Amino acid sequence: MDSIINISNQMVLILAFLLICAPLLSFFFSLIFKRFASSIAITSISTSFIAAIILFIKVWFSKTLHFSIPWIAFNNFDIRLGFLFNDLTVLMLLLITLIALLVHIYSVEYIRKDKLKPRYFAYLSLFCFSMLSLVLADNLFLIYIFWELVGFSSYLLIGFWFTKEKAVLANKKAFIMNRLGDLGFLIGIMIMLSHFHTLDIDALFGSGNLIASSFTTNGMWVSPFNMMPDYWLTIAGLCFFAGAAAKSAQFPLHTWLPDAMEGPTAVSSLIHAATMVAAGVFLLVRIAPLFNETVLIIIASIGVFTAFMAATIALTQNDIKRVLAFSTISQLGFMMLAIGVGDEASAIFHLVTHAFFKCLLFLGAGIIIHELHHLKEKHQLQFDEQDMTFMGGLFKSMPITAIVFIIAAMALSGLPFTSGYLSKDAILISVFEWADVKGGIFWIFPIIVSLTSWLTTFYIFRVIFKVFFGDFRLPQLLEADHHQFKIHEANAWLKYPVMVLAVFCMAFVFSYQPFSLEASWLFNELAPQQHVGGIYHILVPIYINILSLGLLLITYLAYARNKFSFGLEQTWIFKLSYKQWYFNEIYDAAIVKPTLLKAKAYYWFDKNVIDGLVNSSATAIIHISSLANWFDVYIIDGLVNGVASVVERLNIWFRNVQNGKVQHYIIWMLLIMITFFIYLMIF
Amino acid sequence: MISLQHFLFIAAVLFCLGIYAVITRKNAIQVLIGIELMINASILNLVAFAKYDVINNNGQLFALFVIVLAAASVAVGLVIILNFFKRVKTIDPNKANSLRG
Amino acid sequence: MVEQIVFYVFAAIAILSGVYVVASQNLVRSVFMFFVTLLSVAGLYVFALADFVALTQIVIYVGGVLVMLLFVFMLSSKDSLDNIVNLKKEALSANRIPATIITIALLVILIYAILLADFEQLDWIKSNKLLIEKAQTSNVHNIGVNIMGRFLLPFELISILLMMTLVGAAHLARKEPNND
Repeated sequence: MDSIINISNQMVLILAFLLICAPLLSFFFSLIFKRFASSIAITSISTSFIAAIILFIKVWFSKTLHFSIPWIAFNNFDIRLGFLFNDLTVLMLLLITLIALLVHIYSVEYIRKDKLKPRYFAYLSLFCFSMLSLVLADNLFLIYIFWELVGFSSYLLIGFWFTKEKAVLANKKAFIMNRLGDLGFLIGIMIMLSHFHTLDIDALFGSGNLIASSFTTNGMWVSPFNMMPDYWLTIAGLCFFAGAAAKSAQFPLHTWLPDAMEGPTAVSSLIHAATMVAAGVFLLVRIAPLFNETVLIIIASIGVFTAFMAATIALTQNDIKRVLAFSTISQLGFMMLAIGVGDEASAIFHLVTHAFFKCLLFLGAGIIIHELHHLKEKHQLQFDEQDMTFMGGLFKSMPITAIVFIIAAMALSGLPFTSGYLSKDAILISVFEWADVKGGIFWIFPIIVSLTSWLTTFYIFRVIFKVFFGDFRLPQLLEADHHQFKIHEANAWLKYPVMVLAVFCMAFVFSYQPFSLEASWLFNELAPQQHVGGIYHILVPIYINILSLGLLLITYLAYARNKFSFGLEQTWIFKLSYKQWYFNEIYDAAIVKPTLLKAKAYYWFDKNVIDGLVNSSATAIIHISSLANWFDVYIIDGLVNGVASVVERLNIWFRNVQNGKVQHYIIWMLLIMITFFIYLMIF
Repeated sequence: MISLQHFLFIAAVLFCLGIYAVITRKNAIQVLIGIELMINASILNLVAFAKYDVINNNGQLFALFVIVLAAASVAVGLVIILNFFKRVKTIDPNKANSLRG
Repeated sequence: MVEQIVFYVFAAIAILSGVYVVASQNLVRSVFMFFVTLLSVAGLYVFALADFVALTQIVIYVGGVLVMLLFVFMLSSKDSLDNIVNLKKEALSANRIPATIITIALLVILIYAILLADFEQLDWIKSNKLLIEKAQTSNVHNIGVNIMGRFLLPFELISILLMMTLVGAAHLARKEPNND
């Protein structure tokens, strides 16, 4: 490949700088030249995209490139600034820039009427900058820096409509949840630093391979530099996983992601579906060699639990974006599971395919919401434009949107001819194989995963049938004339990005043989040794997909034709799902309320004890000072004034001596004379 | 034979009267009279003692000189009063206070 | 005996008239009463065997000083007379009490000092007392001799002083043409 585009390593470096600096410059220029904000942002992300393509071609199928310069030097180690290019990096760069470009174009229309448009594009650029830098960073410390920056830009974008109270609460929640995870990440970094004296990813996991050279023996974890009890290895892995779980919305830190849907839909699609939430998966894949057996099982358990839980919640939600949010959580759970079972290649593959179809789903939902919002504003109506109960039968008014949405839904369900089929089945196959090796209780993993997979089909087609088929329910519900409400197809700015995305949801983009996972170019490059074939490679896709198709039919009958309903609305299962397993309530009761109570108690303590102490000391000081004041006024000043007034009196009196009257002088003279005489007579 | 002390007592009384006049009077002429009274009292003292200085009569001679000086001083004093009156249109000695500190 | 009575009468006249001089609000009366005081004091001089001094007293004081006082009084009396009413009100108010106290204190001190000194017991007075009894003659001759003898220089100086006083007083008293 080097012969096709023959660029030097220096060129790679320049391109990498161009790649990350373009969004950064766009961030500043968007805020300065407000009129051209969207043009600037799109230009910059296009530049990044082109640079990413060139880098991809350069690095993919070739060796790893690593550039770094020392940044902060300490005694026995230094922190370096640098780029690390390997397959994972360039794949992520390409993915992020492509999706970001499409979302930027989409946003031009979506955000057109908003007064804060320049700010929106500035935030998007900031996000792209930090995400791309995170991917390019060559050591854990740099990753941490951009990890935080990603969290911060996510905070800004979730709270973009900061006048909505829910948005403000949501971005606060997201930020705090992410901080909890970041704490774990930081602890993990510190453990690594103390153990290996370097944070360089290449040195730790790549060519240097310090991780591989460390080993556990006799309960000790030994590295070339240090020795510590082996439970620290588990702790380090769990700490990194905690950071990743917060970013990727895994149980128990997942509750921020559904709330993050308060942001603009385009933002949801870019950040909360395609890129930022993938950062956790990306990080785990980067540091995967670190994890020992315990950590891997924990990751797998949490992944599968999250996948199942989120899927069940998605079954009953009425808010279209919320369904997609829980679907995202569920799919991220799949990726975590893949990492847990030791199949990082599948995780990354699913990450890539999921990024496309989930982005497409969000953008499609965004188009619907956008149109309904216009309708609402045009007719001065009062309804929630994200609520699916008001939709229905939209296929006729917006066929292109419906078709691309259905393609994405099929990809999500893992139906054949879609990218999801390849990646999801890759994970499922890995899980089955893993369970087969482990045996026993571990068979519960493939069972739950299969169940989740079917649930996925169910909930996403529930959305499709509710939204695009049946009758348009809004006029009925609002008791208005049916013909007043005309829903139009999206215009070009919205339409073309989703169509491009729809192409990327197809299986042939990733594999010339749509039923064969092993034929995927991406998969082969990432994991050449794995998946040599086996019984599960044939069985698993077949039985998953047959049942999925059956469920699809049931869903169609239930939601599009309204042939029957499940009649579960009053049962506890429905409520559990509808209330999102009561996680918000549990957290509220278990953490928020006690925290508030504690805060109140501290407040009371502050108010009554500390303030009381302070106030009483203040009062005491006031009393002392008034005493001192009294002393000053009456004793000190009294003394001074007394002396002064005595002097004054004396002065007045003595002044009368010198009053210029001759006879007075004589009186004084005589007085003194008499005094003198008396003195003489007495003594 | 009159005792010396009687002369001295009378002189003392006169002297005190002179002083009283000098202190209290608002009229420069009366002040001057007070001074003359005091001078007379002192002359009386000189004369009284001179009584016992039979040979030399120094006291009487001094008394004469004092009388002459007193006359001269009265002359000068009266002229000063006259000038003062011309200037200030009053002869109250307390009004002569333009040099007051 | 007669001598003593006459002496005390003179003394009483001198003191009472002196009191009147001092206490009187009326300047004219005060001046004339001073005339009486001077005469009675001159009488007292005679009792002290100083005839010449008594005469000189009468000549100089009564003839010169008093006339001069009256002249000055007349030159400035117009205002004084006009202000008599005002003077009465404020004349003595300012200094009367301290003046009285001081005067009496001084008198007490003087009398006390005189009594304390007891001049009668001095040697030279004692020795001369006998001489006084014998020499009852006039001492004018003795005075003349002394003035022209031992006291010649002071006498001449006095005369020069008088001359200066005369000229100076005349100069001061003249009317200045530019005087306001």
